[in-house]
Amino acid sequence: MSEPAIYLHGVVKRYGAFIALKDVSLSVDEGERVVICGPSGSGKSTLIRCINRLEVHSAGTIKVEGTELTDDDDAIREVRREVGMVFQDFNLFPHLSVLENCALPRIRVRGTPRAEAEQIARRELERMRIDNQADKFPDQLSGGQQQRVAIARALCMEPRIMLFDEPTSALDPEMVGEVLDAMVALAEGGMTMICVTHEMGFARSVADRVVFMADGRIVEQAPPDRFFDSPSAPETRRFLEQILGD
Amino acid sequence: MSDATLAPPPGDSRLAYLRRRLFSTWFDGIVTVVSGLALLWLITTVLSWALLDAVWSEENAEACKDAAGACWAVIDARGRLILFGLYPYEQHWRSALGCAIIIATMGLSCWPAMWGMWRLLGLWLAGFGSFVILLHGGVFGLEVVTSEQWGGLALTVFIFASVFVIGMPLAVVLALARRSNLPIISWMAAIFIDTVRSLPLLTILFAAAVVVPFVLPDWAQGTKLGRVIFGFALFYAAYQAEIIRAGIQSIPKGQEEAAQALGMTYRSTVLDIILPQAFRNTLPSTINQVVITFKETSIVTIIGFFEVTASASAAVGRGEWGAYYVEVYVFVALVYFIFVFGLSRYGAYLERRSRLSHV
Repeated sequence: MSEPAIYLHGVVKRYGAFIALKDVSLSVDEGERVVICGPSGSGKSTLIRCINRLEVHSAGTIKVEGTELTDDDDAIREVRREVGMVFQDFNLFPHLSVLENCALPRIRVRGTPRAEAEQIARRELERMRIDNQADKFPDQLSGGQQQRVAIARALCMEPRIMLFDEPTSALDPEMVGEVLDAMVALAEGGMTMICVTHEMGFARSVADRVVFMADGRIVEQAPPDRFFDSPSAPETRRFLEQILGD
Repeated sequence: MSDATLAPPPGDSRLAYLRRRLFSTWFDGIVTVVSGLALLWLITTVLSWALLDAVWSEENAEACKDAAGACWAVIDARGRLILFGLYPYEQHWRSALGCAIIIATMGLSCWPAMWGMWRLLGLWLAGFGSFVILLHGGVFGLEVVTSEQWGGLALTVFIFASVFVIGMPLAVVLALARRSNLPIISWMAAIFIDTVRSLPLLTILFAAAVVVPFVLPDWAQGTKLGRVIFGFALFYAAYQAEIIRAGIQSIPKGQEEAAQALGMTYRSTVLDIILPQAFRNTLPSTINQVVITFKETSIVTIIGFFEVTASASAAVGRGEWGAYYVEVYVFVALVYFIFVFGLSRYGAYLERRSRLSHV
């Protein structure tokens, strides 16, 4: 079997006396789609933020596409080039147009000539069905549109892995669908994806595996059918009862 | 923006509008009449002093003696002293040209098409270079005029421009250093900023002009003007650094995280993402600080430089024109007003521009 796209072993994250991640091990294969869920404060966001080193793990090993995350800045940037991230609050750059949001990072990080970078940006915006807004500024767009631009911006780097940190939590309910549709399309294209989300419908239809976290640990992981229909851990059952409301 | 239409305001003729706003009660009526009369008196008094009864140009001060209004003849007679200070009379054209070059350089750098590191660097090197060559001379057959003799508007504008051009990059470096993850660096930046801010500008300029020559070896001293400009720039940088730091802190953490997650370097994150937003968020306070700095250039008088305010005092300090200092200071105030008004209009333009690319 080939090397996993993402490999975490014994990862611990401490904030002073508080321990956010307690000995987490997880391995994600190339092309695999993993949904991470769990109650708030369970460490799911911390976990995926460790994968592109927005958080520095306190102990354990993290390898992304075979590159281990250490203090080596070059290795970190190497990993970040291959790992796109979509945030809960979009985090588009408000002083740049939609097109420039997508093209500028590509120019700066990959050294792509401007004309080519803009072409790539238009292609990815088109893929997210938002290319007609290319010349607007982020605050002229709705939340759902902004999040699709954010996904396009990440895709412009042509990453091999995409991380989604609660991408629909800040959206009005009527806009959740358009963002989920974009993510489904991405999944169908074979992208390796890790999504922290409470959208259980998305998890059931798209995920290869659902990981349930509570209190800084991975409590259970299983394919969606087994996860939703016959969860083994009592915490999982309680969580699913709350979130699915039955 | 919303296209929703509001109900039209109640139909109001201009007369009815004025009555409602100015005379709705008897007390409002009295206030309106009294302040109207006061305003009328003020305007007619100032106008007749400044224009109607004024003496515009005469050979000597005698003609102004019997005039009821302003004696603008003093500007005619002493204007060159005010604008050029102690600069040798026959060489005034050099000072005027140098002044125009610095103003043109400032004007050009306000133009968005010039905003690029290399373009601005080239522009300012050329601007300062030709200013110094023109005013100092010693080449191209120009007679040497040492910087102690420079004066008037050219000196004011030169000091201001140099302080800004040295101080602004320094302020950016200080602001970034103060946010550094390395405690020693942020600590040193904080100490520097707090120390400079706790000293009066006068003390810093005095130290630069008088104390530094005792401390530094000869080769490192430079000219007195150079030291004063550098001290002034440190002062400006300390204040501007805090403005920029406030601007950086007003940017959500997610901006930096998004740039990092995309793999952008620190340099690119700062230059492309953080600083443009920080400057945009702090534009009004930055313009404020720049205007204050422009006016504070008059303090260099104290250490013997004849910038435009000091030259004005000298112009009326002795002799026949001594009685007409009001006219001279009104003239100098107008000169300052033109610059400061220009700066604040430019600030307003920048704010409008950033809003356009935003809303």
